[in-house]
Amino acid sequence: MAVEYTFQCPLPNGLHARPASQLAAVAGRFACELQLNNERTGTVANAKSILAIVSAHIRFADACVIRAAGADEAAALAALRDFVERMLPEGDEPLPVARTGPGEPRLPRALRTAGTSWLAGTPVSGGIGQGIVVVIGGLRLPEALVSAPTGSPQEEQRKLTAALTSARTALERRLTPGLGMVEAGILHAHLAMVADVALQEKLDEFVAAGRSAGAAVVEAGRFFADRLGQAESALVRERAADVQDVCLQLLHELYGTGARDGGPTLTQPSVVVAENLSPHQLLALDRRLLRGLVLGYAGTTSHTVVLARSFDVPTLVGVADAARRLTVGNEIIVDAHHGIVVAEVTPAARRFYAREERTRRARAEQLARFTQVPALTRDGRRLQIAANVATIEELAPAFAGGAEGVGLFRTEMLFLDRDRPPSEEEQFGVYVQAAKTAAGRPVIIRTLDIGGDKPAAYLNLRPEANPFLGQRGVRLYPEQARLFNEQTRAILRASAFGPLWVMVPMIATLDEVRWVKARLAEVQADLAARGVAFNRKMPMGIMLEVPSIAFILEPLCREVDFFSIGTNDLTQYFLAVDRGNENVADLYRARHPALLKLLDMVVRGIHDSGRWVGLCGEMGRDRRSLPLLVGLGLDEISVAAADVPGLKAAVGQLDAAECRRLFEAAAACATAAEVETLLDNFYRQAAGQPLLEESFVLLDVDSGDKTEAIRDIIDAFHVAGRTDDPQAVEDAVWAREEVYTTGLGHGFAIPHCKTDAMAAPAVGVARLREPLAWGSVDGQPVRMVLLLAVRESDPQDIHLRVLAQLARRLMHEDFRAHLLAARDAAEMIDYLTRELNPGGAPSSP
Amino acid sequence: MKIVAVTACPTGIAHTYMAAEQLEKTAKVLGHQIRVETQGAMGIENELSAADIREAEVVIFAVDIDVEKRERFSAKRIVQVAVQEAIRNPKAVLGKITA
Repeated sequence: MAVEYTFQCPLPNGLHARPASQLAAVAGRFACELQLNNERTGTVANAKSILAIVSAHIRFADACVIRAAGADEAAALAALRDFVERMLPEGDEPLPVARTGPGEPRLPRALRTAGTSWLAGTPVSGGIGQGIVVVIGGLRLPEALVSAPTGSPQEEQRKLTAALTSARTALERRLTPGLGMVEAGILHAHLAMVADVALQEKLDEFVAAGRSAGAAVVEAGRFFADRLGQAESALVRERAADVQDVCLQLLHELYGTGARDGGPTLTQPSVVVAENLSPHQLLALDRRLLRGLVLGYAGTTSHTVVLARSFDVPTLVGVADAARRLTVGNEIIVDAHHGIVVAEVTPAARRFYAREERTRRARAEQLARFTQVPALTRDGRRLQIAANVATIEELAPAFAGGAEGVGLFRTEMLFLDRDRPPSEEEQFGVYVQAAKTAAGRPVIIRTLDIGGDKPAAYLNLRPEANPFLGQRGVRLYPEQARLFNEQTRAILRASAFGPLWVMVPMIATLDEVRWVKARLAEVQADLAARGVAFNRKMPMGIMLEVPSIAFILEPLCREVDFFSIGTNDLTQYFLAVDRGNENVADLYRARHPALLKLLDMVVRGIHDSGRWVGLCGEMGRDRRSLPLLVGLGLDEISVAAADVPGLKAAVGQLDAAECRRLFEAAAACATAAEVETLLDNFYRQAAGQPLLEESFVLLDVDSGDKTEAIRDIIDAFHVAGRTDDPQAVEDAVWAREEVYTTGLGHGFAIPHCKTDAMAAPAVGVARLREPLAWGSVDGQPVRMVLLLAVRESDPQDIHLRVLAQLARRLMHEDFRAHLLAARDAAEMIDYLTRELNPGGAPSSP
Repeated sequence: MKIVAVTACPTGIAHTYMAAEQLEKTAKVLGHQIRVETQGAMGIENELSAADIREAEVVIFAVDIDVEKRERFSAKRIVQVAVQEAIRNPKAVLGKITA
């Protein structure tokens, strides 16, 4: 007799890899036969197989039936029903959002006007790379084996079973403690796949039909890769490359190294083009010659992409039919800034990218002025800028970008997406590597912050109606004592290798802190007794995210060494607003005066007790809030690595005393709107940067045409940090240009724009060596270009007045003659400053 | 001749002021009395008073966008030109109204 249970898929992204692996884990606990039917497609899947479940393409609201048949069928069905009804709806995650919509990337004007041929893709790893096209095909049986004799099905089956076993052993052997988190995660995923029952069944089927073991592997691999590759969910599609990798591994086990179609040997700078590239195939390429990747289907979170990102290889995904549309051996450019593949390197493209490269280098040199020095405000107040990371691979680039430490090392990535928790040794390897990479800089490791919203099947967490107020972070540790013990042991042992700090999430009471400290003391005593090295003075701190902490600071400061404010959760707990709930999203205000008062109270309280306090939430990266955070008097702000250089530079523009006055006024406000008005005024009055800097004056430049002349000035703004998005400023200038020409006659042009892509307003000047056609009112070519760019949302009158004055003065012959005659940038700035001083006499009749 | 003018352009950071300057400069040369209100990114500046408007014999709009507070000029003779025209050839614009 069989029993069944019908349900509708509750997941907006469908039943993709992660929930499928959880469902398969529940099913795997039972002996009976378990089938999952997708009624929409008629597909029947083995519910114990991740591959089979994701291949069933179960979409949101699809009607599904689970059938159980066997001795423990009733218990199995009850467990699965419980899982589907309670755990499944919690187990989803949003799909990664592509930066640019398909088909609509913003092509730089110089390329657009030159008619450059290009393909669109989604950038998943930044940078620009140039090389010849090398195409890597999918899974296929090596030529030498196609004609090899096939044994009897029994013989081939025996070879296959041996290959599966040795593949599993090989994968387990490669799981060494020193391995990076990304690679360890991949190996765990592959282990699950090697053991997958659906793969096993498919292999058996082909062998029974008379195929050789190798052919069975190739056909089964193609079968699953195709089915996963066609899935509507990106999360499923990106597992296709993993199937391919596992099958390549099996071929290797079957026939030795000769069998692996290890891909081409790169002989010159190359861009690898593939429908689907497995992590293994990527690792086999010579990274010194690999300049870019162009992939057909690979998700933004696929293992291949994560690796490409950690190797800093410019990568585009979702480039349809790339292998057919690009010519092998041709030189192409992968431009992951703009999300395009330039299919042919024309002189115009070469010129454009040579300039991009010059600009990029100049910008990097400019940023380097901030990256390798401590962040200081204008009046000399020190504020550490650190990085938030989730994987070990992110550390080195973060430090290269100027991070003064790691303010938050999230360890959840070590625990999710696998069928068992990481061992103490595996964690120890990761933490030691972190300590070594940090080379003396502090690294704050946060112990596992997991709850009902981040399921890890092996923890058997009970689903909760409101996981954010439920058993998460420290509240889970007493129940998962072994997990916490292993993690703290690993961290303590690693603390012998560098300044690691340990931080505990979700602390709300003093008792929790005491419990944690008692466990730490036990681990320390045990390590000491065994003679294992560790740092006896390793700082221990807590996340400050539950508001109750603010009112028991004094006793807490006697127990802990430091605090890190998690603004995201603190804001939502303090204001009672779920930040993910659109209905109340406008109540979520990190700059609410009540919250500012609370922050002031805690920072003062912590400092009064001589303790250290940092901040690691989203608020840290919000540039508008920065003066408030500087005014708050934090010791450290920790943000995503990419935001570190810009944040350091921005701190250098602020005056700590001014910021403190602003903060006090803001904390005294009654409403969030009043705080915003204060900030508006602050920005309007801020002395800020001068409109004109010497680097914005380009004398006797060789711009080739109007497009280049405009871009030359905008790039100068970018190098100086006035804009992070030169493309957007260019678009804004040209949008204005299209209304009517900015060529005023007399050889002068005054292109301009209002755009928030400018961080601060600026004036740039280009005096051209060769006059350029501009479509001016008098039909004459242009010799002198003055580009004005102001912010759209909070233009400062003081700047607008200068620009208005500049526009007026340009109507005068003597003013124009002076600009044309200036000997150098300093003289030009000097002259302009005198003429445009807003305090000067207005020009009226 | 007493003239009042309003200048306004789409972005309001350059052409508005260039046109104002050209009209002021040229009117002076031609011996007219002129007051020019600019409607730019800083809002209305040199706002024309009711008396200015009342006394003016003619109003020039050198604008590419709608004039703010247009009702102030409802009873007046208005000559409207593009901002570009006032910048390129202010003499011709002023010639138009005195003709």
